[in-house]
Amino acid sequence: MPRFYLHLINGSGITRDHEGLDLPDIAAARHEALSAIRSILKDELSHGWLDLGGRISVHDDNGNFLLEVSFAEAVDIRSKGIG
Amino acid sequence: MKLRQRDDVSAEEEKALRAIIQPPQHIGARRVVIREGEPLNRSTLLCEGLMGRFKDMRDGERQISELHVPGDFLDLHSFTLKRIDHGIVTLTDCVMCAASHEALNGLTEDFPHLGRLLWMTTNLDAAIHRALTVSLGRRDSVSRTAHLLCELHVRLGVVGMAEEDEYPLPLTQTDLAECMGLSAVHMNRVLRDLRERKLATFRRGRVHIHDLAGLRWLAEFTPEYLFLEKKPR
Repeated sequence: MPRFYLHLINGSGITRDHEGLDLPDIAAARHEALSAIRSILKDELSHGWLDLGGRISVHDDNGNFLLEVSFAEAVDIRSKGIG
Repeated sequence: MKLRQRDDVSAEEEKALRAIIQPPQHIGARRVVIREGEPLNRSTLLCEGLMGRFKDMRDGERQISELHVPGDFLDLHSFTLKRIDHGIVTLTDCVMCAASHEALNGLTEDFPHLGRLLWMTTNLDAAIHRALTVSLGRRDSVSRTAHLLCELHVRLGVVGMAEEDEYPLPLTQTDLAECMGLSAVHMNRVLRDLRERKLATFRRGRVHIHDLAGLRWLAEFTPEYLFLEKKPR
């Protein structure tokens, strides 16, 4: 399985992934990035803030850039209420 | 022996317990040792390495509900329950020994005190699970991770595998994330946070604790639920 490195860039700076994740393909890496963003935002929300200005930058084993997933892509913000 | 931390174990009892433990088996890392629901006629003692109790979700996400360190029985509760409700996986290369339920039955009849001590170890597991429940329910990602690191420090210390300010933990960030209900990338961020707060560093399979009091305070960790005291049981 290929290894992907998901570097986090957000309000707390750059958190480099030194370990990497073994995932089947790029689609799985994108899925993992979305999960990671949601996990982080969930935590931030419990502290009373929500910073959608971050992104996850996905690289391969050779350090090549593959794709980027922005925090905004991972969440659909709405205000529907019941009316 | 882990049991001696919490009660006196006579030489005769120790001999009887050792007599029912089968020869050690080596198992490689990342192997499911016991499957959920598998009928069991033996219980297993972990001698070396780290194992995890886990449950996989339909979407492939895994929750590790307990980490096991050397000296732990992995599934003593299967003695009464006859099967277990989760899987057990090796997280590193491991050495384990089995004890048949038949032999355990004989042991508990001949040595009721030993029987109570083995019962106690399942109670200890339950206390560890309750602590995890509180962590997952009410602590934020950094505090709950700090709590786990504090707990492992104590549990490994009991079996002589931890020093005052560091201990080996040959796990991946994914393993830790699966214990804590977080994504691996999030766990990376959490560990960076603990490092920057100068509380603990997890690097290359070792945990270095820089500020034990501070780490315990953040985690709201006290070792009471690990019942380290010696009492007649």
